[in-house]
Amino acid sequence: MIFLLMVAGYLFGALAALLFARGWVARWLTAAGAIIGGACAVTLAVAEVFGFDIGSFQIIVVLARRPWWLQGGVIQDPAQPLSAVFLGVVGAIAIPAALYSIGYTRAWEGRRSLRMPGAMLNLFLLSMSLVPLAENILWFVLFWEGMAVTSYLLVMTEAEEPETVHAGNWYLGMTQFGLGFILAAFFLLLPPDGSGDFTALAKHAATLSPGLKSLVFVLALIGFGSKAGLVPLHVWLPSAHPAAPSHVSALMSGVMIKLGVYGVLLFGLRLLGGGPAWWGGLVLTLGAVSALLGVLYALMEHDLKRLLAYHSIENIGIIFIGVGAGMMFLSYDLPALAVLGFVGGLYHTINHACFKGLLFLGAGSVLHATHTRNMEEMGGLIKRMPRTALFFLVGAAAISALPPLNGFVSEWVVFQALLGGASIPQREVAVLMPIAVAMLALASGLAAACFVKAFGITFLGIARSHEAEQAREAPVSMQVAMAALALACVVLGAAAYAMVPALGRVVAGLAGLPPASAVTVSWSLRVPLSAPGAVGQISPLPILLGLALLLVAIPIGLWLSRASRALRVSDTWGCGRIAQTPRMQYTAAAFAEPLRRIFAALYRPTEDVSIDFHPESRYFVQSIAYRAHIIPWFERYLYDPVIDRVIAWAARVRAIQSGSLHAYLTYLVAALVIMLGLLMLWGS
Amino acid sequence: MPLPTGYTVAIAQTALALLLAPGLVGLIRWLKARLQNRRGAPVWQPYLELRKLFAKEVVVSSNASWLFRVAPFVVFASTVAVAFLIPVLAVPSPFDPVGDLLVVVYLLLLGTFFLALAGLDPGSAFGGMGSSREMTVAALSEPTVALAIFALALGAGSTNLGQIVARTMADPAAAVSPGYLLAFGALFVVTLAENGRLPVDNPATHLELTMIHEAMILEYSGRYLALIEWAAWLKVLLFFSLLGNLFVPWGVATVLTPSALGWALATLLAKLVVLAVVLAVFETRVAKLRLFRVPELLAVSFVLAVLAITVSFLVR
Amino acid sequence: MDSAFGQLTVLGSSLVLLCGLTLLWRRGSAAHIGAFAAQSVALAATAGLIAVVTGSRELWVVAVILLGLKGILMPILLKRMDRRFGGPRELEPYVNTATSLVIGGLLVVLAYIVTWPILDVSRLPTRAGMPLAMGLIFVSLFVIISRKKALTQVIGFLALENGIALLAMLGTYGIPFIVEVGVFLDALMGFLVMQIVIYRIQETFESIDVEQLNRLSQ
Repeated sequence: MIFLLMVAGYLFGALAALLFARGWVARWLTAAGAIIGGACAVTLAVAEVFGFDIGSFQIIVVLARRPWWLQGGVIQDPAQPLSAVFLGVVGAIAIPAALYSIGYTRAWEGRRSLRMPGAMLNLFLLSMSLVPLAENILWFVLFWEGMAVTSYLLVMTEAEEPETVHAGNWYLGMTQFGLGFILAAFFLLLPPDGSGDFTALAKHAATLSPGLKSLVFVLALIGFGSKAGLVPLHVWLPSAHPAAPSHVSALMSGVMIKLGVYGVLLFGLRLLGGGPAWWGGLVLTLGAVSALLGVLYALMEHDLKRLLAYHSIENIGIIFIGVGAGMMFLSYDLPALAVLGFVGGLYHTINHACFKGLLFLGAGSVLHATHTRNMEEMGGLIKRMPRTALFFLVGAAAISALPPLNGFVSEWVVFQALLGGASIPQREVAVLMPIAVAMLALASGLAAACFVKAFGITFLGIARSHEAEQAREAPVSMQVAMAALALACVVLGAAAYAMVPALGRVVAGLAGLPPASAVTVSWSLRVPLSAPGAVGQISPLPILLGLALLLVAIPIGLWLSRASRALRVSDTWGCGRIAQTPRMQYTAAAFAEPLRRIFAALYRPTEDVSIDFHPESRYFVQSIAYRAHIIPWFERYLYDPVIDRVIAWAARVRAIQSGSLHAYLTYLVAALVIMLGLLMLWGS
Repeated sequence: MPLPTGYTVAIAQTALALLLAPGLVGLIRWLKARLQNRRGAPVWQPYLELRKLFAKEVVVSSNASWLFRVAPFVVFASTVAVAFLIPVLAVPSPFDPVGDLLVVVYLLLLGTFFLALAGLDPGSAFGGMGSSREMTVAALSEPTVALAIFALALGAGSTNLGQIVARTMADPAAAVSPGYLLAFGALFVVTLAENGRLPVDNPATHLELTMIHEAMILEYSGRYLALIEWAAWLKVLLFFSLLGNLFVPWGVATVLTPSALGWALATLLAKLVVLAVVLAVFETRVAKLRLFRVPELLAVSFVLAVLAITVSFLVR
Repeated sequence: MDSAFGQLTVLGSSLVLLCGLTLLWRRGSAAHIGAFAAQSVALAATAGLIAVVTGSRELWVVAVILLGLKGILMPILLKRMDRRFGGPRELEPYVNTATSLVIGGLLVVLAYIVTWPILDVSRLPTRAGMPLAMGLIFVSLFVIISRKKALTQVIGFLALENGIALLAMLGTYGIPFIVEVGVFLDALMGFLVMQIVIYRIQETFESIDVEQLNRLSQ
């Protein structure tokens, strides 16, 4: 019932967008449809994960005959816990994104019709909700492609910009590339009787040879990894996410790439039932490399949305570190630690969706107000857009893994899982764990530095451009959406003691993992570790309360001790200079410069300084332009040669299109003759 | 006299840390002065500084926002929260289940985060420079700290501070194991980096080419500056307590009797004085490193941590 | 292995390795010579410790030779060489310092992985230090290939020799005395040969930057 309502909600939203296309009616109805769908998705997910019984409301009212789309395992009935988690993520981010779009699309009035974006948004949400629920290869691929196509159309909303077209092409190309690998993996698992049901696939997979299973896993990892944004298949992310409208970016970055994680878990745990340790090691290594490279490239970005996109790559890396550790522990028969790894990965999935969604919505508000994404043209926005700045600050603190917010708790769980690496008997493999710990710690430290830069240059200081001076606070709908996500970040952190066991139950039963093994004490989160009797324990809620208490107690203490309360507003100290202009502040490039020099071996930075002298005298400078470039390794050395090779080969194949009618007829006849010959050969 | 409860002791130890912190920094400054053939200010000079600053008027830049006024409180609150978590006098503390070593590290990062933002708020170049350098140093010392925590947790089986201390007390030979000593070396370098001591940063300088921490807080005055300085001094004391009580835990009270607590206080003071002397001698001996040589120093501490892990992890 | 003797030998081996890592960290020749001298002294101390516990007179002689030859004599000779052909104080190495240190750490981890099979087989209480000696060997090789100044390469070679001696001591309580003395003499001969070669390089190119040797092929 709720499932039908969800589908109906999305379809209603799509229809409303198609019918109305302009005006506030369109905006509100489109968003309303998406919100209804999202709310239903969240309800289903929460019920399944936390074990509430919503009985006959869950999938469908009892009918005499099951409809066609519940037969043959199209949709899971009831939803599996793992799928329910991802469904919940879709719904939970859909609601704020839809709410946000009400205010955001008002700026499109008169310029752009809402027909395509609104309809595609709802269809995008619909297909994303159905992907985790699909039980059958055909339907899975159908919804997957639906998700890809709708998101491509959404990315191309502002197709008048050349960079949007470029981003869209890359995105479509990489999606199809990934789809090829996913299809290959599915087809290798197809049982002889051709049934595409996932349970049948799992049963058939158990009979395959280990070599074939490994091939399937690697193919699935490449296919789903390219969707998730694992290095080196990440190149589409930094161009596609900024090109899309902000609420779509939030959905793509917060939700869509998580479906890549779902795919890897589907293959790794459910279909193939766990495998040798090197699977987990491969996932762990790719995750650690993605985490580090993602944040290193994010540091050098001045486009706010590209910076956030690179951070998505980093966080996907962290998720895959957790998943990879879990898979490794599973193969070494350490179930408690394996659960910890998977729970860490899943928890970070949910948390990242929340704070990345929040950050993209915040970036969208800034873009909406200043019409630029370049951080070097912003500044001082905290005074013009105070509430947006506050919500962005919460998101920035969450992604930098600062306690007591949710980012810290899920990273803590992943750390604890990695610390258990000491239990792995094979020491050559166990050495991966400390390396992963070091890379994870470096990535989270650099992420904090990056977000000091992002928040500080964008919101603090003095406005660096006219638009930034004139910026206005975001509309109420956008603020409410951001506030909801900010609240979620805080609550998800404090509620860790409830989330972790629920997630533990989610992974229970998959690939032989034991039922919920995370022990909790009220208000705190305690996880059993490898050494007997050892536990790791933190209590996020007391930390939150304690910090709040101290924040209140200190001013009271100052007041009680009769400290001076005088305050005077004056100029910033300028070492004797007379006026202060915005150009005297630190810029984003300057902030990141020490790190650019330290990691110069990776970036190979080049600088370009051009000086315009005064026409009268070379002693006076009119303007100085400074451009810093870094080498995009993967684009230049991995993708460009491949693309050039493909284009060269395609140019040669084009020779068969000679334009001559006779040639084409000859092709037809030749094909017919060859096919008849082959049929004769096979027939005999 | 009834035995003090765990909570009373925890609150008392935090108050004690707050009270001792300015004295500790005053001692370090006085020792450095004496080593450099100067008379130096008396050891209680920082208390007088705090009293002066609390009585002074605050001047806030017109470009600054509410973040500038909130940041000192956040920094102070997070450092005091860490004081509750670290075993200064007694273990196990009732706040032990609230946070472990990772929570401590990231709570300190919370303070650094807000301080760095507050440096960017007034729109001055000094603040931006300080923030940029401070975040660079903080980010690069993260892997060392994580690996050092890993090395300590390997022995104790958990990152919980109480369990680490208990394990070292139960197995004294572990305290001189090479793994622990290498981890101590790594954490000592991190202490220098995180607290802005030589050779990473000079706490006494105000030249823009040489400042990191001082540049971030250049705009602060009055009671805000008092809170930030006090928090920085408290951080030094907490790091020293960590180094002392994790690696040489004897003296830490395991039962909450007055005699045990008194003995714990005495050993704590002794450890603080010893570490203060070591730091003062070290700071007098070395010169400040160029900013771009600091990553090399942090790489050395990282290698020490890697060695600590390999020695204790891979040989069993 | 958990005995005090085992711990102390691991401590001594760690000190020897750390002096080797200092070769990657510090840049000036004076620092390198000092690190090498300290390393030889630490190695002599470790040898002396093993000699005390095992009562082996040969190891005592080895310790004394190490102290005299490599702890005192060679550093004096090296300092004299440095004064004669010192050249610029720092030459940029092929790999920058921070990266070299991280690679050094990884080489030590590699050394551990390589020596695990031996750790499982050996029964001596000093076996825990063997991976560290192996690590020193790798690190010294890395110093030789990544530094440009000929003097630093010579010191790297001498540190390599220290590492081999340490490995032998920890693994088998020292190699037969004749072999040990032979190895010392080989090292001494090699050192004197290198002194002559460096003198010739300095005469030809006015510097001891070994990259200049590329010019010989032109």
